[in-house]
Amino acid sequence: MITIALSKGRIFEETLPLLAAAGITPLEDPETSRKLIIDTNRSDVRLIIVRASDTPTYVQYGAAELGITGKDTLLEHGGTGLYQPIDLGIASCRMMVAVKEGFDYANAVKQGARLRIATKYIQIAREHFAVKGVHVDLIKLYGSMELAPLVGLADAIVDLVSTGKTLQANNLRAVEEILPISARLIVNQAALKLKRAAVQPLLEAFSHAVANRV
Amino acid sequence: MPPVTLISSMRNWLLPENIEDILPPEAQRIEALRARLLELYRVHGYRLVMPPLLEYLESLLTGTGEDLDLRTFKFVDQLSGRMMGIRADITPQVARIDAHLLNQNGITRLCYCGSILHTQLRTQTATREPLQIGAEIFGHAGIESDLEIQSLLLKSLTICGVKDARLDIGHVAIFRSLCKGSGMPHTLEVDLYSALDAKDNPKLEILTKDLETNTRDALRQLPSLYGDRSILRDAEKVLPDYPEIRSALSDLDRLSRDPEFPVSIDLADLRGYNYHTGIVFSAYVPGQPNAVALGGRYDEVGEAFGRARPASGFSIDLREMARIGSVTMEQGAILAPCSDDENLSFVIEELRNNHEVVIRDLSGNGQLGDESGCDRELALLEGKWQVIMR
Repeated sequence: MITIALSKGRIFEETLPLLAAAGITPLEDPETSRKLIIDTNRSDVRLIIVRASDTPTYVQYGAAELGITGKDTLLEHGGTGLYQPIDLGIASCRMMVAVKEGFDYANAVKQGARLRIATKYIQIAREHFAVKGVHVDLIKLYGSMELAPLVGLADAIVDLVSTGKTLQANNLRAVEEILPISARLIVNQAALKLKRAAVQPLLEAFSHAVANRV
Repeated sequence: MPPVTLISSMRNWLLPENIEDILPPEAQRIEALRARLLELYRVHGYRLVMPPLLEYLESLLTGTGEDLDLRTFKFVDQLSGRMMGIRADITPQVARIDAHLLNQNGITRLCYCGSILHTQLRTQTATREPLQIGAEIFGHAGIESDLEIQSLLLKSLTICGVKDARLDIGHVAIFRSLCKGSGMPHTLEVDLYSALDAKDNPKLEILTKDLETNTRDALRQLPSLYGDRSILRDAEKVLPDYPEIRSALSDLDRLSRDPEFPVSIDLADLRGYNYHTGIVFSAYVPGQPNAVALGGRYDEVGEAFGRARPASGFSIDLREMARIGSVTMEQGAILAPCSDDENLSFVIEELRNNHEVVIRDLSGNGQLGDESGCDRELALLEGKWQVIMR
């Protein structure tokens, strides 16, 4: 039995064609079903629906052999014990630094400066500003990051930007791209060694589907 | 709210995270496995050493990687004012003993068993206090010592009752010679290492884009060069014809011929790249999300202690082995009455000398305590003390 962990919403929707390419069709839709374990047309493959930030953890502990997760989540998790062989090119967006309209960002991030950053992505933000040589005080938030610069909680935010509409609506401006983000296929290391016969064809099907789409 | 002292006394039993007591049946099993494994190593000529629990940090961490440094508990020695560490791996200690203390010229075989401590878990299912047992062979650089170590590891797994284990072998010399051959900067080598370690193909693609064609193609192929022995032939085709690579592939060919356990090969497995120099192997068991045994060749660790010596070895966490292996130690005990009868005492001693567990029935009232494991009892039948079923 191969278990694939993924989150509902955009990742699930955009994974469906890839699953189809591997001959896998879920028997239920997680948006309408309350089930967390979703069987597929193949008796040896099932899906589990987890919270996006939990996907690497399920795969790391071997509770699922495969997982589909954003590169952002993977960077925050650290990726220990995981292989991440395929960029699926789905759920694409960008990790950006954004500030309040009118804030002089270029001047604020001079080497040796100190900034207050609100973000859900502590590791990514810390690494990014460390490379720039800028001191940051990080404030961990779980949502509505756009609010932080507006109410004076932080000088800037680090967040995922897809269309930029939320930023615009809140009078914020993206000033720097940290890295492009898309979903990765992740594999438990022991599963690749022990269940290669079952896992390998899935990897190949996914990577063919990705290559043919481009 | 209850007074503070009450709360703290209620929590006095709490142990630190991932630190645990080992209780009766488990402790017995671990001890029995320890004795059997050390006996196995002894009859193969491996002599037991007992390195200290703590050492000055320099000697403890010399020649090892940064990950071991982070995993080591450190404190200041109040006697000398120097930094000390509690060992997080016994292997470097044994290498130090071989290089510096024993100083033999020929081949030295050593084995050890002892607790180590980790600040951070090595794997998410591990304990922070593994009981590390292992064997090392020093002073021989050929494939024969790797084979001996591999076979000893497989015998160890069998003794521990581990079923369906799979041995995964890699060879760090392949990656090393690709890096050396291209003359790339060390920083790139480090980045490439972490990309290969995670089989992160997209990152590998970016990192290798400015390298010359041969090296680039070879590095990009490495993550997909895993599987059964047949990948060695693919590797011959796609990897450059360096002497180091040729000899690495032939080593892997020889080591994967072993029929006892299924063997797979992974040319991008660079675990312990910081100090391994040749063959690396890991054993995987169904149901365990991480490798249960690790080993390989580390020819340069001894150099830091004044003498570079070829070295190959493996280690396992006995506590994990006792948990996943199927060895059972269920031996029923014999209940003996609490009496002054000298004949009874004699019979009891006889039985104990023959490794039977005999428990005196102190309570005498049938309350179940230690006596509950007794499947037999001593009874006076026709004037003789005899063992009968309960």
